[in-house]
Amino acid sequence: MKRQRLLANTFLFIFLLMFIVLPFVPLVLSSFSYNWKWPNVLPEIFSLSAWKYVLFDNSGTWQAIGTSLLIAFIVTAINIILAVPAANALVRYPLKGRWLFEAIIFAPIVIPAFVAVLGIHLTFLRFGLTETIFGVVLAHLSPTLPYVVRAAMTSYNTLSIDWEDQARMLGAGPLSRFYHVVLPHLLPGIAAGASLSILISLSQYLITFIIGSGQVMTLPILLFPFISGGDPAIASAYSLVFAGMAVAALLILDLALKRYYKKKQAAASKGVRE
Amino acid sequence: MKKWALAATGLLALALGACANGASDPAAENTDDLLDSDWKTIAAEAEGQEVNMYMWGGNENINRYLDDWVAPRLQEEYDVDLQRVPVNDAQDFINQLVDEKSAGKKKGSIDIIWINGENFKAAKDNELLWGDFAGKLPNFNEYINPDALEVAEDFGEPVEGLEAPWGKAQFVFVHDEKKVAEPPKSMEELAEWVKENPGQFTYPALPDFTGSAFIRHVLYETTGGYEQYQQPAADIEDLEQRLAPMWQYLNEIEPYLWRKGETYPESLAKLDQLYANGEVSMTMSYDPALAASEVMKGRFPESTKTFLLKGGTLANTHFLSIPFNSSDKAGALVAINEMLSPEAQTAKLSPENWGDLSALDFEKLSAEQQKAMNEVDFGPATLPLEELEGNRLPELSSDYIEVIEKGWMENVAKD
Repeated sequence: MKRQRLLANTFLFIFLLMFIVLPFVPLVLSSFSYNWKWPNVLPEIFSLSAWKYVLFDNSGTWQAIGTSLLIAFIVTAINIILAVPAANALVRYPLKGRWLFEAIIFAPIVIPAFVAVLGIHLTFLRFGLTETIFGVVLAHLSPTLPYVVRAAMTSYNTLSIDWEDQARMLGAGPLSRFYHVVLPHLLPGIAAGASLSILISLSQYLITFIIGSGQVMTLPILLFPFISGGDPAIASAYSLVFAGMAVAALLILDLALKRYYKKKQAAASKGVRE
Repeated sequence: MKKWALAATGLLALALGACANGASDPAAENTDDLLDSDWKTIAAEAEGQEVNMYMWGGNENINRYLDDWVAPRLQEEYDVDLQRVPVNDAQDFINQLVDEKSAGKKKGSIDIIWINGENFKAAKDNELLWGDFAGKLPNFNEYINPDALEVAEDFGEPVEGLEAPWGKAQFVFVHDEKKVAEPPKSMEELAEWVKENPGQFTYPALPDFTGSAFIRHVLYETTGGYEQYQQPAADIEDLEQRLAPMWQYLNEIEPYLWRKGETYPESLAKLDQLYANGEVSMTMSYDPALAASEVMKGRFPESTKTFLLKGGTLANTHFLSIPFNSSDKAGALVAINEMLSPEAQTAKLSPENWGDLSALDFEKLSAEQQKAMNEVDFGPATLPLEELEGNRLPELSSDYIEVIEKGWMENVAKD
């Protein structure tokens, strides 16, 4: 039993190393390299110039990171507000033609977002929403919302109505029922959905470019021209900055969640003692 | 709860839309008199304007030239704030302008665009460009000959002042002196060389821009010169027959190409990589100073040199233009004028900054300005400016390019 677990752990470790850590090694090397040629396994000349360009010159990286994160968090907040009631309705009400509603909500996963965005662009232009962060936020909702709804639905599936009925019998109003009974149960699902929503929003290029029209500068907008036929060292440095930003965003989410649970736990143990 | 959220977002969207539309109308009207005002008025109006320049953003040198050389000068001397907006492909902002046109957006944020060839034609056909502004620019009038073919036409399309030339490019072949002692001087000699040195040459698969340009040289040399193609492709009835010798030439050298011609590098970047790795002995470039800058970077071997064909090589000009709905047209005019100044063009010429050929007419420069340009050090890989200048061939118009790209797939790539 113990040996089996050790084996599983080792296997997992090797797996993680191979598929997550290893791909970063050439990226790091390339970002510090200067003219890394094919037969050389390691770069011959190391240089900080790519990093200098990305982080310190007039390249606008820091502002782009700020804009990217701002958009991702607003998008995710709106997603949660929309997804929880939607999931509630889809799971719990015996709706006629439910499959149709589900199909509409999940359509953006199947249909490439930029197909829709090309049409949205004209409408947004008329409303003056292009070139604004708000417009980009609205456009990011379509590819991210399905994942949050999906995650919230899974949580609702395992939440019996009886729990809420019980709370109702004990005299809890709708708000406190939601806050004390429903929300704690949904939270892991929401957190999973929110992580996806943040990651997907952060990595949008085409939608941001079309709706933001070059005036909303997110990190992918700076990064893309370098990836497609530009300087590989700068592209690598930008990719690493991008990965760092995504990890940081997830860490922030994780920290917030942990704090919530800690508070909850503290409150619960206090309740028991009383 | 869901309804509320939806309604709130919808309302917010409408409110925002209304604000933006309301604000944009009055300012858009007065810009069209700009073409009738004198330069002093324009320069005064430009003060304090923010000019957004949309351009391909994948080259660090070019980005730095604009951010660190052009932008600070504009800020200091004219109080114009130049913002470079990186774009993946010029097609992207053309599409954006098409949408803005059909949505009736009068106050756009794109003030300067960097275009040529197909993109210029698309912009002109869709009336996306502001107007005949080039003649307004003092530096254009002083240093550029508007009747020169390379300024008056852009890939066969009349320019009509809708765009101002920013720089020139010319096709060169790149070779490693150690492997190719005497580079071929014509397509015929190239074919001989390829047969004697199998596996040492290839070209990027079409529709790669440079690969396509290589084939246009084959076209000119195997079918009897460029003059016959100065008319629209539709006017030549026996076009297919005329192109036949070109396909024959390409198929003849195919078995002697890199990997026996079974596959072609998908882009110039890949071909350059093959050359850098020493797998092939030649590459090509539509930028005569690029090889020098690759040598400087250490990517290409020190023994890299460039050469032209006896019959000349293709040259084109790239341009700056102002879209119909630019909000800061005065600022855009001032910025473009500054980028056409001899100082800016000389700085652009230097491979340390960019290495792009000057758009100015060398004869019109003062002795001092000529001297400054001649002193720019291109490194040993670049040909002298006079030699490039004397061997330029005009580009084909884009309707031919379409025919050729399709034909290559059918006649060369397929079998």
